[in-house]
Amino acid sequence: MSNTKVLSTEKISLDDALTIAKKGSHCGMCRFDFLGTGLCPSGKKYGFVAYWPQGRMQIFKMLMSGKVKPTKKLIEIAHSCSLCGICDKQCNFATQLRPEKVAKALKEYTDNLKESEFQDVTEDDIVKGLREIVGEKWATNDPVIISSYVQTIIHPDSELNFYVVMPENADQISKIIKFANRHNVPFMPRSGGTLLSCATPTVLSKAVCLDQGIIIDLLRLKKLEVDAKSCTATVGAGITAFELQKEAYKHKLRANLAEAGAHVCANIASTGITSTWQNRYGWAADNYIDVEIVDDKGTVRHNSDMDIKNPYTTERGFTDITLSPPGIITESTVKLHPIADDEDVVLVPFEHLKDALSMIMKLARRNVGVSLIVLSRKYLSEFLCPTNQIAKDFEYICKNYLKLNYVVDVIGNKDDKKIVEEMAECTIDKSMMKTLILGAPKLASLKDSEFMKVLSEEKNPCKAIFAGPMRKHLEKGLDASPEQIAKIFDTDLQEFFTKVYSKPEMTDIIWLHSFRILPSRLMRQRLFFAQAGMIWAADEDKILKLVDMLSKVCDKYKLEHMLGFILPMDDGKYAFFEYDYYYDHNDPDATIRVSQALIETTENCLVMGDILMVLNYLFKGLYRKEHVLYPIPKGISNEDLALFRELLENILGEKFKW
Amino acid sequence: MVKFLSGEWNELSKEYILKKLDPEKDLKNVTTSLLAVIEHVPPSDSIMNFYLDLKDGKLIDFIVNTGDTFKGKEPVFTVTGNYGTYKSILKGEMSMAVALLRGRLKLKGSKLKALQIIKPLDGVILSLKEATDEFEE
Repeated sequence: MSNTKVLSTEKISLDDALTIAKKGSHCGMCRFDFLGTGLCPSGKKYGFVAYWPQGRMQIFKMLMSGKVKPTKKLIEIAHSCSLCGICDKQCNFATQLRPEKVAKALKEYTDNLKESEFQDVTEDDIVKGLREIVGEKWATNDPVIISSYVQTIIHPDSELNFYVVMPENADQISKIIKFANRHNVPFMPRSGGTLLSCATPTVLSKAVCLDQGIIIDLLRLKKLEVDAKSCTATVGAGITAFELQKEAYKHKLRANLAEAGAHVCANIASTGITSTWQNRYGWAADNYIDVEIVDDKGTVRHNSDMDIKNPYTTERGFTDITLSPPGIITESTVKLHPIADDEDVVLVPFEHLKDALSMIMKLARRNVGVSLIVLSRKYLSEFLCPTNQIAKDFEYICKNYLKLNYVVDVIGNKDDKKIVEEMAECTIDKSMMKTLILGAPKLASLKDSEFMKVLSEEKNPCKAIFAGPMRKHLEKGLDASPEQIAKIFDTDLQEFFTKVYSKPEMTDIIWLHSFRILPSRLMRQRLFFAQAGMIWAADEDKILKLVDMLSKVCDKYKLEHMLGFILPMDDGKYAFFEYDYYYDHNDPDATIRVSQALIETTENCLVMGDILMVLNYLFKGLYRKEHVLYPIPKGISNEDLALFRELLENILGEKFKW
Repeated sequence: MVKFLSGEWNELSKEYILKKLDPEKDLKNVTTSLLAVIEHVPPSDSIMNFYLDLKDGKLIDFIVNTGDTFKGKEPVFTVTGNYGTYKSILKGEMSMAVALLRGRLKLKGSKLKALQIIKPLDGVILSLKEATDEFEE
């Protein structure tokens, strides 16, 4: 083998590799080129999740737990990795992992297997039929390849009696669905898989995962065409948010998109695209001009077809929980939005949520700003800081010294900026944000310093440090430079990260809002569950009560938790909130507590009224927002709550009847 | 044990529901009717259905037929799915509620009302399950 030397000189124990693999959270950042490194060559060539870094980590975990036995495909998977190191750069930026070490261990493990340890795989009629549709290479029932899909569409306790097929167009998907129906085999599409990876460890697992059948992996649908004149882009189901934004930016246009790794079509269908831009750009059906959908009969249709029933409306009510989209979106034509020449960013720090909320809602109702959000100190720290520990220290400083618990974060034109500056006692500008990104390690190191203690005695520490005479000292003291921040990475990656942080976009807050490469840092070596929803925003006190309730329930279940963000939508009539529970997804006890908090907070929100919870808007992103959000949900009665519990019991099973 | 959707299955299920299910305790005195349409029935890829009529928890009608409608009957609910889905439900691999929420079963009628009667219907499903362990492959 060509890599024997590397393996012998840089051995890694199976245990160490397993520790890394277990921390994999399927953020999917290894499947698109966000740092200019190029893509994982084997993933690009072979397509299936198994050949990407995230898949290798999952396979390794499955092999070590004995849940899958080696097949001859494992040799191809292990040796398709050239140990080029791209994954280490990408993954380290996002989640601080070194997947290449797992790839090395997988090679070594595979090379040491005896012939008798490989199980045979029989090509059955289903896989033969699928191969006739998509070609030999793109359909499989190999258990090792299947095992790479565990946690993102397959429940970890499932038998691996699945097929994976990778079609390249709607016609092939139509044929696959018709074939599956004829043979009575269930099927389900898979895109980025990250949403499912967050749901899988929780109580929602059995409800959202495929129990058996055909996984239709949509990665090969890579169409991407921007029509600058009409401000639209046509994107295939395999295109990520990052890839679309990159093309849109070439035309000085911006798409309203979710996190960088989210597949655009799937995200439209699942959550309707939640972003800081949604008060201006819209939500759900506002985002697209047309979609191509293959329905569950295998019929290809477009929302623009004249002879179909209204595709923009949906059932409403607390029992209307939908766990799948109305079809597989194979292509969508999405809206793009012109970027103003004078676009700028301004952040306003707040100690209390009440004040931050009041400001963001005023701005939203007056239509000030293109991007609006209240970010908690937790999100701010996680996004800005390159490591988990630095984020923790940064957050500590925000809370204990700066009294910076929330920021109102606004992107808009110069007039918008002026309005915000007039409303605020102090603001943080673009240049200071660049300083904070590059200087985050140094700032975090001041955690126990005298400087911070003195600063905290100021009446308004944020004003003193960001807008007062101390700003110059801070800028000088942080020594904010690409070289400085690169020092916190492993020695062999420092040169690379110096170059990364030298790129203007990596410290450009507006670019970072558009391309959203930082949120995956919330999944640094552990998962989080986002309890999210939309609340009628007329009564701001009710929003505060909601946050208080979410906090108390999480305390009850002993979870690390914090409000993530609140963002206005529909001209400030509604507010979208995300409250996050952080936990080790390998700890069964923690996953139960997350599930308990999820159910209890959902029930409480239904009783409170004016709130549409995630279970009630998931997979409704194709519909017109007015049909999803209105009428405003009323608080449900005890009788209805009993019915809802019964419904959950039916979906989730008896063991979740607390 | 008999084959799903066969005449024997129809008779056995009917007998089981009448004898083993208590109208009040198991079927909550429910009054409803349901047409279950089963698509892609092997080996001929045909469509079959069964019609179930309950009044105050008592079984009034239970008939197996072909096609996707039942002439002369106007069910409160029509639930359509493929043979594989019904097989999973009768084998206890998936609940009816999950099949509905996942879109594996399509419902004609009020979803809210359907979910309200899903508990009593579970009793019926249990009966059908008891009477069936043979399926077309």
